Order: sequence, then structure tokens, then C-alpha cells
Amino acid sequence: MRQSRWFWPAFGLPGYVWLGVLFLVPFYVILAVALGTVDPIFRFPQPVWNPLEWNVGAFEFIFEGLAPGEQFFVIFARTFAYVGIALAVSLAIGYPVAYYIARHGGRWKAFLLLGIVAPFWISYLMRMLAWVNLLQDDGYVNRILMWVQVLDAPRNWLDGRASTVIFGLVYGYVPFLILPLYAALDRIPRDLLEASRDLGASPAQTFRRVTLPLSKAGILAGAVIIALPMFGDYYTPDLLSGSPKTNLVGNQINLFIHGPQPTVGAALTVLLMSMLAVLMAYYLITTARMSRANER
Amino acid sequence: MSRHPRERLGLDRREFLQRSAAAGLGLTGAGALLAACASDEPTGAPVGTGGSGDTTTAPFELARKDNPVTLPLHDDNPAIASGLSPEAGPLKIYNWIDYLDKATVKKFAKQFGVKTEITVFNTMDEAIAKLQAGTDFDVFFPTPDRLGKLVAAKLLQPVNLDYLPNLQNMWPELQSPFYDVDSRYTVPYVIYTTGIGYRTDHIKPPPESFDNPYDVFYEEAYRGRTYLLDDYREAMAMLLLRNGVTDVNTGDEAALEQVRQDLLGLTDAVNVKTSVLDYTLVPEGQAWLHQAWSGDFVSAQYYLPKGVDYTVLGYWYPPDGGGLIGSDTMAVVRSAKNPVLAHEFLNFMMDNDNAYANFYNFVGYQPPLTSLNPDLLVRDEVVPPHLETTVVREEDFDTGYTLLELAPEVDTLWQNIWAEFKSGA
Repeated sequence: MRQSRWFWPAFGLPGYVWLGVLFLVPFYVILAVALGTVDPIFRFPQPVWNPLEWNVGAFEFIFEGLAPGEQFFVIFARTFAYVGIALAVSLAIGYPVAYYIARHGGRWKAFLLLGIVAPFWISYLMRMLAWVNLLQDDGYVNRILMWVQVLDAPRNWLDGRASTVIFGLVYGYVPFLILPLYAALDRIPRDLLEASRDLGASPAQTFRRVTLPLSKAGILAGAVIIALPMFGDYYTPDLLSGSPKTNLVGNQINLFIHGPQPTVGAALTVLLMSMLAVLMAYYLITTARMSRANER
Repeated sequence: MSRHPRERLGLDRREFLQRSAAAGLGLTGAGALLAACASDEPTGAPVGTGGSGDTTTAPFELARKDNPVTLPLHDDNPAIASGLSPEAGPLKIYNWIDYLDKATVKKFAKQFGVKTEITVFNTMDEAIAKLQAGTDFDVFFPTPDRLGKLVAAKLLQPVNLDYLPNLQNMWPELQSPFYDVDSRYTVPYVIYTTGIGYRTDHIKPPPESFDNPYDVFYEEAYRGRTYLLDDYREAMAMLLLRNGVTDVNTGDEAALEQVRQDLLGLTDAVNVKTSVLDYTLVPEGQAWLHQAWSGDFVSAQYYLPKGVDYTVLGYWYPPDGGGLIGSDTMAVVRSAKNPVLAHEFLNFMMDNDNAYANFYNFVGYQPPLTSLNPDLLVRDEVVPPHLETTVVREEDFDTGYTLLELAPEVDTLWQNIWAEFKSGA
């Protein structure tokens, strides 16, 4: 039987449809809202579909607020800082765990992975609400810290501090970092590590010069997987803080979309996406370079 | 008192968060965005606002106490004729979440032999977007600050007062309120004030001992425990009142600039937080000081942890009555399939017994019934004696200030100040 030349490309069709219907079209809607107008009565967004009629007022408004110290500068800077710190902490926690499971998990590997993922069958919001209870004045966190005499009196963890919000981000997303890291580390052939040791490298040198470079793809993939939702997060600061001082870009988008300037909310979304596109481009270029190097 | 509402009155925290998150995640919901295309052209003559200092115009008249508005009638949107018999239902009710006692609704269903369906919304914007997208709801609960818009967009139908004799049970002032003179489109549902909710065991001295009670929000001792309502109109209006500006719908740039600085000052002074969970955060002790709605503070006692005495809850409202006061209304949706039945429902909910049962058994927000003596509410322990301040009296409407529709430009000004505050910049 002869195969049509469309046989294999047809396998990609669901992917193309998915991309078109669930990404490109909605993205164009957001763009049309950002560059559109609002109706005079309710201030609901009126998307403008024709690019020739777009008006850039919302972007002008945002760019004015992007001067250092201004509203949007502060909110973007804070978002990048929180996500950056949360990412670093997640790696500090996730890498050793993934390393341990991949190297030393033995026949418990599947069980250990399941154990890490299991709590995350519960919805994100539920888990954050649980933390609200745990972090309250008379919650278990304060009780335990007082019992082991780290604290003399309960600390108000929910007073709007940055550390609690960053902790929430880490807790919420770290397993999604561990899984790709584990996959990358598990794939590293033991022969390479043994060869490294045979050639006189110390364990530390082996890690630095063999394991770490070979797990770079996993680190990047995991970082992308958890950083993207963190950048759009707004309910973690809502739940664990509520202070304006810890609000992220997502909170501002939420506020503007529901206010009389939905165009600004949509424009912030577009702006955030373009910033993330730069990071994504870095990720894609790096991984492409790595796979080319592997082929050689 | 044998039976108190034990269930929550208002949304509980879990539901609130889930729904608000869901609403936010629906950002790319093209349906809602596309729905907005379908809006009518503005109708009604642009009219300046009365005595509010702002000179901007809106595509609808802005009701103010000193500028009562008779909402326009449209030939293509008539009220139903008198003397019709109710339809077979089911009656579709569109209401705030947990803002209606199911038992009272059940009683209505039984009395008229119909089924009822309650659909809920979390914000007025969400509700209006849905109404505009075209639905077949019969009864809706608009806030007065959206009436001009709703009528201009012809989303409501005028009511025929022949079906609504129980309107006589309501406070005379609300039988023809300034936001809807002659009750053309709405009838009153519940009333409330916005004041200061606090923990009497932590807030010492209490707000009333300050020369300016609103200054309590700046007390650094309550850092991390101080909350404003997460509602730009309520929060900013309170700061206007603190500054002695009683036009809480002002477009005056100097007054609003002062509010902007005061908001930023609150962040610096106490890292102020925002929430609409006044009825749980204060009884649970996470908040010691929370700008609060009176109805929420009637309910707050049911959220106290075991063993905590209910006297720890305090609610301050200006004793001279010069605070924020609001009301919610009931209306019939223009595209209602059961308009006569909807009128019957409005009338039913203004019945003395039904309105009281709805308040007492579940909602916690008080109906403006003439028969409901505020002093008896305290005597009968519906409201604890020390929370008498949560009771709204008819005369409060003369002295209080109501949040009303803003001209779009003024609204944007308010919203932008709020957004800057919320960015923590």
C-alpha cells in the first residue's frame, strides 16, 4: 500500500488545530481588546479586529507607568524578582530531590515520584487555603516553631510579607520542576560517570563537569514549566498576603480587566507575554543548540 | 433565641476564592469579550451631574440625592399590562451568591405552584456582562449605582406597580428613591451601612475614642492586621470621609489626589491589606481592623472559633449617621419569560413575614421594612446589643452618603488611583 504524502503530516493536525484554536485565536482576541475600545455605557471591551483601526492608548498608558519607580515598573520588577527567587529556591529544593530519586531511588523510584506528585492531585487553591490555616496565629506552623523554641510568640506569617508569597509559589510549583529534572538525570548513562571517575575526576568535579551539563536541558525545561504559570499567578498573593506590596502583574491584569479600562488589562497581558517570549526564545535556542551538539 | 442562621450568609471563603480565581482564569474566554460587542448605542440625553463637583457627562443621567432621577421609559420596552395571571415558570432568579434564603424561595414556589431556579454571580460586572449576552433570567438584583446604565441599555423592563402592593411595606423614602423616582424599574431589597469592623480585645482604644475615628487605620500597632474592603469605591470613599469630603462620588481631582496619597500612606504606615472576607477574618482573628459591611458583621458572630466570646466583635458607624449607606434592589429582566411571575416574586419578597424570614434565617442583611423596628432587633437578640451599630435606621438615609454611578471619566480616575495603590508602588 502506498502512503499518501500527507499521511505523516496528518498526525500533527490535532496539534496545529490546538495551537490555532486555543492559542493563536485567543491571542488575537486579547490583542484586539488591548488595541480596541470600550463601549460607552458599561465600559466593556470592544475588540477592534482590523489592525488599521487599532488604537495604542492602553500601551501608552502602560509605558508612562514603566518609568523606574512608577506603578508598572514596580509591579513588573516585583514579579520578576519573586519568580526569580522562587525559581532559585525551587531548584535548590528540586535538584537534590530529583538527583536522589534518579541515582539512589532504586526500586522505590516510582513510589517516591508518586509520593511527590500525590499532594498535587488536590487543587492549587485548596492547598493554598490549607496553608492559610497552617500559617495562622494558632496554626501548626507557629505551634511547632514555638514548641521547638524557635519562636517565643506566634508570628503573623500572613501579615503581607513577601517571603510567605514566595514560599507559596515554591510550594505550589516545585513538583513540576522535579519531574523533568528527574527525567533528565535518570537518562544520564552511568558509564559516563564511571568514566569520569576513572579518569581521575573527584565526585564534585564529576558533578560539575558531567552531571550538571547533561541535566541542563531538564533544568531549563523544568524552569520554563514552573516559571510561566508563576508569572501569571495572582491568587497566591491574594490568598497568602492581600497586601498591595506583594501584588504581581497578574493582580493588576485582573484589576484592570474587571475595571473601566479592560484595554489596559489586555495590554498588560500582551506585554507580559512578549517579555516571556524573550525567555522562551532563549530556552528554544539553547535546547536547539544542545541537540545539535548531541548529533555531532 | 432558638434558631439563628448557622449557615453562612454571604459567600464563604472557599467558594469566593474558587470563583474569583475561575473568573480571573476566564480571561481568554472569548465569549465574554465577544458578548460585549452586542451593546446598544447609548440612549438618553447626556446630562451633567447635580451638585457633585464634576462637570463631565455620561450617556445616562447620574442620580444624586440632590438630583433625583426619573429613569426614562422607552416605547419599545413597555411594562406588562395589569391583571395578567402568572406564568407557569420556572422562575429564573439571578442573584448575588448566597444572598437569598432558599427556604423563603421554596415557600414562594409552593404558593404559586412553580419551580424556581437560582443562578448566582459574584460581581455586578459579571452579572451585567451575562445579561447583555442575552439570557432568560426573570428576576435580577441590581445595585443602584448601575441603574442608569442598565436602563439605557434596556436590560431591565419597567415594573408595573399594580402587582406590587407590598411596596407599601417599605420605608416611605425607598418607595420612590432618588435613584429611581416613582420606582419605575426597581423595588428595594436590603440595606446596609459600611463602617469599621474590629476586635474589641485588640483595638484599644476603640475607633470612637479617636478625634477622627478613621485615623485608627493608621495605627502602626495594628500593622499586618488592618484591612480595607477590596472595593475601590468603598475604600476610597472612606478616605474621602476621613478628609471631611462628604461627596463620596466626587470627581474633584484635588480630593482624589489626597485620597491617592492617603492610600499610599496606609501602605507605608501599616502595610494595609484588602479583602471582602470581613465576616471571617475578624472573628478568626487574622484581621483586627477591617472596613466592613453591616450585614457581614451581623453574620460574623457565627464564624467565631469555639470558646471566643461574641463581644470581641465591634462595629463602628458614625453616630451622627454621616457614613456610607447602601441598598440593593430587585428588578425584572427585560427578556424575562415569566414577567408576571417575576412581579409576584418581587411582591412576595416585600411581604413583611417573607422579607423578615429571608433576613433572619439566612441573609443577615436587613430589609427596609417599616414594620421592622430596629430597637426590637436588639431586644429580640437578632442583633447582639453591642452590635446595635449594625442596624440601619430609616433616618440614616437622610444623613448617610451613598455610592452612586460615576461618569466614565471620573470612574477611570478612581480606578486608576486604586490600581496604583494596588500595585504597591
